[in-house]
Amino acid sequence: MPLYGAWSALLPDSGEVILENAKGMIVADSTRCVGCKLCELACTEFNEGRSQPSLARVKISRNYNFGPRGQQAGFNRGMGEFGNLRLVQDVCLQCPHPVPCATACPYGAIVMDPKTGARVVDQKKCRGCRVCQRACPWEMTTFNETTAKASKCFLCNGEPECVAVCPTGALRFVSWNNLTKAVPVRQAILPVTKDYVSAGCSNCHSKRR
Amino acid sequence: MQSYGGWTGKTLRVNLSTGKISQEDTARYKEYLGGTGVGYRVLWDEVPAKTRSFDEANKIVMGGGPLTGTSAPCGGRTSITTIFPCVYPTELVGTGHMGGHWGAELKYAGWDNVIVEGKSDKPVYIAISDDRVEIRDASHLWRNGIYRATASICQEMGPETQVAAIGQAGENLVRMSVVMNAFSHSAGGVGSVFGSKKLKAVAVRGSGSIKIAANAQEWKKLRRYVLSLMGGNNQHVVPSTPQPWSEFSAPRSRWTARKGLFWGAANPVIETGECRPEELNRIGFRTMKATYDLGPEAEKHTVRMGGCASCPIRCHSQIDVPSVEAKYGVSRYAASTCVGWNGRMYFKSFPDGPAGTTSIEAAVVGKHMADDYGVWTCYSQLQRDFRWAYENGFIKANLPAEEYKSIDWSKCEAGDPGFLKELYRRIALREGEFGIAFGEGPGYLAARWQFPQSYFNSEATHYWKMGHPGHHANEDAGQAGVLINLIYNRDAQCHSHSNFVRNGLPTSIQKQLAEKLWGSGAVDDVQNFTRMNPDKAKFAVWALLRKELHDSLTLCNWMYPMVASPLKSRNYEGDNGIEAQLYSLVTGDRKDAAELDLVAERIFNLHRALTIRDMGTAEMRTVHDVIPDRIFDLPENKQPFTPGTNKMDREDMETAKDLFYQALGWDRKTGAPTRATLERLGLKDVAEKLAGMGLLPV
Repeated sequence: MPLYGAWSALLPDSGEVILENAKGMIVADSTRCVGCKLCELACTEFNEGRSQPSLARVKISRNYNFGPRGQQAGFNRGMGEFGNLRLVQDVCLQCPHPVPCATACPYGAIVMDPKTGARVVDQKKCRGCRVCQRACPWEMTTFNETTAKASKCFLCNGEPECVAVCPTGALRFVSWNNLTKAVPVRQAILPVTKDYVSAGCSNCHSKRR
Repeated sequence: MQSYGGWTGKTLRVNLSTGKISQEDTARYKEYLGGTGVGYRVLWDEVPAKTRSFDEANKIVMGGGPLTGTSAPCGGRTSITTIFPCVYPTELVGTGHMGGHWGAELKYAGWDNVIVEGKSDKPVYIAISDDRVEIRDASHLWRNGIYRATASICQEMGPETQVAAIGQAGENLVRMSVVMNAFSHSAGGVGSVFGSKKLKAVAVRGSGSIKIAANAQEWKKLRRYVLSLMGGNNQHVVPSTPQPWSEFSAPRSRWTARKGLFWGAANPVIETGECRPEELNRIGFRTMKATYDLGPEAEKHTVRMGGCASCPIRCHSQIDVPSVEAKYGVSRYAASTCVGWNGRMYFKSFPDGPAGTTSIEAAVVGKHMADDYGVWTCYSQLQRDFRWAYENGFIKANLPAEEYKSIDWSKCEAGDPGFLKELYRRIALREGEFGIAFGEGPGYLAARWQFPQSYFNSEATHYWKMGHPGHHANEDAGQAGVLINLIYNRDAQCHSHSNFVRNGLPTSIQKQLAEKLWGSGAVDDVQNFTRMNPDKAKFAVWALLRKELHDSLTLCNWMYPMVASPLKSRNYEGDNGIEAQLYSLVTGDRKDAAELDLVAERIFNLHRALTIRDMGTAEMRTVHDVIPDRIFDLPENKQPFTPGTNKMDREDMETAKDLFYQALGWDRKTGAPTRATLERLGLKDVAEKLAGMGLLPV
């Protein structure tokens, strides 16, 4: 059962504060990645029926040439195919509370899938404002330009396609652990917290309570 | 086109003379699929007969096909079709093929093909970001190598950009030049056409999508089926070492993974291990190409395997050789495959033996020099020509004394990889007689330096015809291999036949498989060939049509067709209809194997028609489809069709041509397509035009 704050029923859109952790997560072994990008294609072909790396909820293309830090270190001093040949895959960490993308969503559209515990975008509630894209420190929220809705890793309802398709077992589906402090972030986040969410925070965290 | 999956529906046309950028509906090219098919059609429709490579009227058609950019296994290839500069003595239609990630990115940007026409008067590059297409100034990139051009363009367009660029060789109109993307994926022979148009690069970034027509479950099921039939690189279906799960093994198989063999420079190291056919999450370890190409010493340098978009078989070795930085001033990190590592071949020997550390250093230095300057080696013909000319005194005889003295030959003699820096610089920058002559390519070089008959008839040079070497000819597939090698204007680049005969299965099983497809007479034991028969003609036609199909869909002809499989439960049978199944599910245009082969035949006939048009003669048999004497004359002490030789027989090869032309519906006398055949293939307009030029057989 999803565990929501007792106060959440009072909020206009219940469900955006996710207190329970996901059951599983995808971990990536960069030393095994061979850069075929099949993970990105499996993600969108088997879910949206389209080949579209920009929408993929596992990411390798953006790190392929120069690694996560781009060309900062010089042409062959950095990472990636043009650097030291090391490829880095980015995967959703299925963050614990406070889930950055869900907390930032002004419409409470990022909710928990009770089956997997994954944080998912409710396509009916999403209005396409893209705030979640600026809220994820790892830049893992994606945007479907066709439907004008956000998307994020939903663990393929418990059987991740990227894991199934990887030709070297570089992606694995394992029990969840909090890795948010272990993986370097990619962007400074845009802090957006709605009044009623902050009110909710103090509901639990305030000393006065 | 909107109703189909696979295609984006849009073709991009960029005119560098006028600066006009326009968009066309890909629908007009659907019957040619994509890639080379579209390339041939555009050249036929739009480029006047006898246009030269560097003329303003020549065009470049680059792109993938309906499968490119999808997860169709091994669909990451790009074809670049143009009037091919290395063809000797008359430049004729040809294609440079590259893997990597450029073709897939072009599809995501929303384009099936790019047609480049005209000529810029100053250096430019084409920047494609989805719908936004610009011709941008490239004066800051000119006179720079491919590495810097790529890095600079990625700074302007974003780090994910895929850049297909030329180096100094292409700029300087060195015929032996490439277009390269993704660090190690080059399209041979076409770089100088870019250079002639002052086009430094075509850079692409795409955020869009390709529709898959089939439902996800159906598509997933087919993908898994294809993977279940897949072998190692070149569709070798047995492992190279005996393994408990496999009935057979074959030492030259590229299924090289085994217990105790490591990616030794992975950190920490990774064992390739046994990779059984059903272990689809280990398929990427199957081909350990570094040790296959570079010898056992390469194991400790192997960071990982790599390769093209959407391919689970990783055939490009990614290696780390720290010593080259201090010694030769090139990056320690290198990636390549097969002949891309043949910087070694310029040397007779190395101080530490033929496969020691120095040979690997030579491979790395050679890769960086060739891939940064953008020099093509033409299936290592450059290396073989260099060795032959050096050893036979032709370099000394043809270079001015001053120039000859200025080259440090002691490095060449000593097996010092540093020699390659000088060699490639001279070629890419057209320095002196040495640079100009070798950069012109084998045909032009041989004419310029008046090579004697012994050059053309040498097994060591491997020269075939029209400025190119043999490429899997009689040494692999007897008469079928010869037929495949006489049909193109460049080296054949066809692997349909060689993959099958080298797949590692015993000949008895190959014959069983062949019987169902072409007849049991199609394949022989290598070095024990039999006389020509109709099965062999069918085999050759099949191999060629599939190659054209692959370069148009696109799929990799280094992996497809998959008519053999590693599965004993299937009696090692593969599936001759995989390409058609992939095409049908991706596009929604349901075609079976025979229907798709008909499309391939249309494409292939267009190549023939273009060759006839631009040579100005329908007499292909004796003028174009020529065979080097060496395969009939060498070795002198052997008779054809006896054990221990691949020697062919002149009269028998004429029979082979007869059967081959007949199987294609071509005129037996000339080898030119007949009106009936062209009309059967929907090429009535081509027949009319050829008839008008007097180039249809009577």
